[in-house]
Amino acid sequence: MIRTENLTRRYGQRTAVDRLTIEIAKGEIVGLLGPNGAGKTTTIRMLAGMIAPSSGTARVGEYDPAREPEAVHESLGLLTEAPGFYERLTAEQNLAYFARFYDRIDTAAAVERSLDRMGLLDRRRDRVASFSKGMKQRLALARVLVHNPQILLLDEPTAGLDPEAARDLRKLIIDLREEGRTILVSTHNLTEAEGLCQRIAVIQTRLIALDTPAALRDARSRSAVRVRLVRGNSGLVAALRELPFVENTEVTDGESLLIVAVEDIDRDRPRLVARIVELGGEILEVAEERRSLEEVYLDLVREDA
Amino acid sequence: MSGRRIRNVLRKEWLLMARSPSSLLFVAGIPLLLIGQALLLSWILPRFLGVDVPIASGMAEDLGSIERFRILLLDQFRFFVLLIPAMVANVFATLSIVEEKLTRTLEPLLATPVRTWELLLGKVLSGAIPAVAVAWASTGLFVLLAIGLGWGPLLRSVIDPSWHLSVFLLTPAISILSFVLGVIGSSRASDAKGAQNLAVVVVLPLFALIAVQVVGWVRFTPPLTLALSLGIAALDVLMLRLAVRLFARESILIRWR
Repeated sequence: MIRTENLTRRYGQRTAVDRLTIEIAKGEIVGLLGPNGAGKTTTIRMLAGMIAPSSGTARVGEYDPAREPEAVHESLGLLTEAPGFYERLTAEQNLAYFARFYDRIDTAAAVERSLDRMGLLDRRRDRVASFSKGMKQRLALARVLVHNPQILLLDEPTAGLDPEAARDLRKLIIDLREEGRTILVSTHNLTEAEGLCQRIAVIQTRLIALDTPAALRDARSRSAVRVRLVRGNSGLVAALRELPFVENTEVTDGESLLIVAVEDIDRDRPRLVARIVELGGEILEVAEERRSLEEVYLDLVREDA
Repeated sequence: MSGRRIRNVLRKEWLLMARSPSSLLFVAGIPLLLIGQALLLSWILPRFLGVDVPIASGMAEDLGSIERFRILLLDQFRFFVLLIPAMVANVFATLSIVEEKLTRTLEPLLATPVRTWELLLGKVLSGAIPAVAVAWASTGLFVLLAIGLGWGPLLRSVIDPSWHLSVFLLTPAISILSFVLGVIGSSRASDAKGAQNLAVVVVLPLFALIAVQVVGWVRFTPPLTLALSLGIAALDVLMLRLAVRLFARESILIRWR
């Protein structure tokens, strides 16, 4: 549904997006993750036919955004970084204005349906100036959906929203995903990316990694067990280090928290626990040591820099 | 579908205008100021200045020098009225794109299938149509007030075919030109002030037009007025095409953050 091949954009000497190759299937939701200036917005604008690539190609649905921008505009919905509304006009007037640029839609019905979907129907005659930031963002999403596009490009949809408004918006995006729409969402929020996206593309000008959140974590996670003891015991730690299946043991919190790297977590975890008990250790908690997506992301970005 | 999109831009611009009382006050204030000034000058100057205006074609031969001078002044109003669209454009057209940039509505707008020429023509007409309407209403009010002041017989020498061409052809052509230049300024400048500086160029030739008429260098006969109107109408089309070429969507998006 969305495909790029060596998509590149340069601004003078600076390369904003470097040979990005990515493919998003119909009905898939992919997160575009990267630090500021990584090229997320530039990528979205190229896909939306707003700016031309310096080289490489892109395909959005049936169209090439560089050659057929108007056809792309007809078929996709773009949520821009800043919502941008005519504040002196009502929500309904704003939406109707944008809706009338699309051919073959019944403006009044489309506006009503879109406002209703975003829970703004009862505020349709209120001026946008009176809206909170969260409501404006929902209205922006209503604008994106007014012509019922099957492909959505969402640029930082929850940026600057309070936690409640962000949660509401994420719920709306999940609903859109469940309707089978193809969605590319750029975000800084790793928890959001993990919760929303089937795959995550980490970019820093170029594509660093592209996989499911779980696969990204697993590929960079080591096999380790986190054991919290009632009290520290240096003799016990020394004994654990002698075990054949233990690769490494880190000790923190006054020797009461052990991170024990093992060869095979499923096989070795019961053996490790049994040995600690044998050695007189009093266990408070045992858990698999998993790396968060944030740690994985930070590692990837740091390594690439 | 272009007609629908252009009408859409018109409707939105007018809605915004209607919700801005200060804008409406400005649009209403300028014509009243010009009418007041023109009538005052036509009343005062001939009384205190002894200018002997020669009898021109169409003037009754038994008119005194004060009446002849007054006719000359009343005749200038058709050129003064051209300042209305020029001044209105300097405020509204120059804001047209800059304001979209400042309110961050330009990017979602350019993400719709609207073509650049549809957007710009909509912006131009949304200002030019009310400006022409105001200019015509002002001309009507000016004529009524002049009749009220007892200058009806003098107006017979003023309202000739050239006057009609000026009001009904030259005024719309100048209005469109003013707004096209305003929109060009607005899409090229980085703020409203810069856009106004760019668009002010249209006012200067208008002053020149008034000056050459007053000093008698050029007499705007019907053929000359018609030629001037058609020439400016052709320039309108050329400038609109230029405006579309100069409206660089990409650099507007990239440079305006």
